[in-house]
Amino acid sequence: MANTLRLYLTCIRNTLEAAMCLQNFPCQEVERHNKPEVELKTSPELLLNPVLICRNEAEKCLIETSINSLRISLKVKQADELENILTKKFLRFLSMRAEAFQVLRRKPVQGYDISFLITNYHCEEMQKQKLIDFIVQFMEDIDKEISELKMSVNTRGRLVATEFLKQFI
Amino acid sequence: MMAGAEKFVEADNAEAIITRIEHKSRKIESLLKQNKPVEALKTALEGSPPMTRDERCKSANWIVVHRALMAIKDVEGMFSSLDPEYYDILMKYLYRGLSTGDRPTCDQCLRIHEKLTERAGLGCILRSLADTVNTV
Repeated sequence: MANTLRLYLTCIRNTLEAAMCLQNFPCQEVERHNKPEVELKTSPELLLNPVLICRNEAEKCLIETSINSLRISLKVKQADELENILTKKFLRFLSMRAEAFQVLRRKPVQGYDISFLITNYHCEEMQKQKLIDFIVQFMEDIDKEISELKMSVNTRGRLVATEFLKQFI
Repeated sequence: MMAGAEKFVEADNAEAIITRIEHKSRKIESLLKQNKPVEALKTALEGSPPMTRDERCKSANWIVVHRALMAIKDVEGMFSSLDPEYYDILMKYLYRGLSTGDRPTCDQCLRIHEKLTERAGLGCILRSLADTVNTV
């Protein structure tokens, strides 16, 4: 199980290293505008093939590249209803603070839990290797965070229930 | 050989391609029975009709390649006998396999992907991303 996680992250890392070749490209349609082409998808010649990497039925990662931007969308494993709610709330919390993350997208792409948008400006300011490390580390940490949150919810629920029911003993 | 059927593949040409794929699939079954998974993979990959627009041909070829891929047990050994000219087309099929979401397929594809990247480098991945004309 841990082995597939390692292989999955290696595959994503290699694909990102190859796909993160971004350069500045002013908008072709409108003068003086510079837009991330992967979001607009107006010109097919500027887009590369999108790649979907699935680890299993529940977890997947969609990587779409264009000439000046790269969009990574993740779907995180959600085993039961509780994890579903926790993931949604936690990732919404992060997405709301997308300004602080810079590479995070405010709304996830339809069908996914969270999305990143990396533009050529990010690649110029920050190191490509570090960006990729960040994304992969993020994926590892998400799983840990969600299980920690689930455990703390269960523990608190148990404590509260014990305290409450003590009055009936 | 495939250069002739380049620009436009009409419906009847698609039928011809599908019969060729079925013929290939029988050959691959026999190779797998003789315990030669690498030969089977080579047969599946060569003569891939990347120039067709027809989804049925692509799906038919994918089924054949999938059969050969799942039969491979020894990934290292496979690479020692696979020629580099097959690396690019194999990478394209690996990404198709990864997009299916089916657990055993994804496991196998992830395993082969890691080794293929070590062998062929990032250029192979980039070629499979950038080639919008010949998709599998």
